[in-house]
Amino acid sequence: MFKYDTYIESLTDLPEGEEIKLSVRDLTPGKQRYAYKHVMAIVSADPERYPDKMQVRFGRGQLHGQPYSMQVIKEVNIVPERYL
Amino acid sequence: MYKDNREYIKALEAAGELVTINQEVDWDMEAGAIVRKVCEESGPSPLMNKIKDYPGHRYFGAPLASYRKLAIALGLPPDSAIPEIAKVYLERTNKTPIKPVLIDKDKAPVKENIFIGDKADMLDLLPAPIVHEGDGGRYLCTWHFIVTKDPDNGDVNWGMYRQMVYDGKTLTGPLLPFSDGGKVFHGKYKQMGKPMPFATVIGPDPISAIAASAPAPMPETDFAGMLMGKPIELVKCETVDLEVPANAEIVIEGEILPDVSLEEGPFGEYTGYRTSPRDMRQVYRVKAITHRNNPITTISNMGIPTDEGQLLRSFSLGLEMDKLLRSQGIPITGVFMMPESTHHLVIVGVKPIYTNIAAQIAQTVFGSKLGPWFHMVVVVDDECDIYNFNEVLHAWTTKCHPINGIHVWQGVGTPLYPFLSAAERIKSVGPKVCFDCTFPLDWDPLSEVPSLVSFKTVYPKEIQEKVLANWKNYGFKSS
Repeated sequence: MFKYDTYIESLTDLPEGEEIKLSVRDLTPGKQRYAYKHVMAIVSADPERYPDKMQVRFGRGQLHGQPYSMQVIKEVNIVPERYL
Repeated sequence: MYKDNREYIKALEAAGELVTINQEVDWDMEAGAIVRKVCEESGPSPLMNKIKDYPGHRYFGAPLASYRKLAIALGLPPDSAIPEIAKVYLERTNKTPIKPVLIDKDKAPVKENIFIGDKADMLDLLPAPIVHEGDGGRYLCTWHFIVTKDPDNGDVNWGMYRQMVYDGKTLTGPLLPFSDGGKVFHGKYKQMGKPMPFATVIGPDPISAIAASAPAPMPETDFAGMLMGKPIELVKCETVDLEVPANAEIVIEGEILPDVSLEEGPFGEYTGYRTSPRDMRQVYRVKAITHRNNPITTISNMGIPTDEGQLLRSFSLGLEMDKLLRSQGIPITGVFMMPESTHHLVIVGVKPIYTNIAAQIAQTVFGSKLGPWFHMVVVVDDECDIYNFNEVLHAWTTKCHPINGIHVWQGVGTPLYPFLSAAERIKSVGPKVCFDCTFPLDWDPLSEVPSLVSFKTVYPKEIQEKVLANWKNYGFKSS
């Protein structure tokens, strides 16, 4: 069961083992499914390495066959406070 | 004419153009797949009465994805031929614009439920569907329009610009700079550094939807009134200085941010492809949601033909071009855009009274505000029925000189053209082509112009009449 997915242009957008900023969709079933969040996270092409499984899609929605795993370090708010 | 979608749905049902689905349908792709199949089969519109996770909500799919439905929406017999529908559209939209009227909030069905501030959470309140597998998000707004207002002259615009739910309080979507709404946002609000108020109207009455999808040469409120034959009833928004149709199903109010962009797409588009990749696009922050009791969310499913965007844009773009060309004194016989071309191909009939008239026609329509949305103009002479593609194809492949009859220009185009490179998309490059399917006027009509060999042109009238009169006697079934 995937917890998140992300859209990338190429696999170089997902360097492994380092803290990266990522836009992900929450795939938890229910009304909030597919809500976006920006996170700082560590990812791996090893689906067992980190706690949450992540599905990877390319720019036009094509699924990447390799499941990833990720660990969210913190959520990042990118809409300025004045608009919230 | 129908004051809202609920009356229109009853009319569709009476005409055999509605299927009511009472079993539960999943908003996550199932509803989208139903609508897609309906579009590809030109089938009846589905009314889905039970949506997973969202009790009390309903979906209405493919609301106007056929000429039969368009005829019904305009109050015509369902079997009306395309030229008849076009004639009525032109008659109504060539009259005096009809201004909308404002009604009180307590008489507006769209105010039956009001959510403001933190309570206006789209994911919690509204069954935004995943329309296609692989889409970048839940596209709540596929058959809707966005109301905006010019800050200088107060002109109202209704534009159909897709919107994806980013989170409960945020929508994202492309507001192309050459669209009417885009011109005001990019050219005015962004320059001032101010958010642009918006109101998204989901489930408008069919006439308002037709008006919003048309390249109207005036505020769509007035254009819709002309098509309706009476004023559209509007009601004031709760949190922004805008008015919306009082009989709509759902309204989302808020502001488009001038200095923030967020991810949007990809999305299955009207060209039949997912062309434009995920990108950073405009951000709509939500301040309020209002909706009717048991609201009906409309779903259009863009893909291969025919969906309502393709059909109605083709229909109205072609007819606005008809008005434009006639206003320039060009002796056209008519204009038809084929929905199957995803409104990329324009067929223009003309009485070719001077040389190079085809190039003039193409330059006029490509250079207009309609131009970015199509790239192929086929000009045929008045011998050809523009609504009969067999005749058009015959003229195209027999009269168009491969060197002298094809004219190519570089113009402004939509980034959604599937044939463009990534660099061309970014620069709004739009290659244009005109196919001149008329014979040169300097050819001697008696000795040089090929004569058409058809039943109607090659036999004397008395022979035609004799054959037609005896057709059944010969043993043929059809006339």
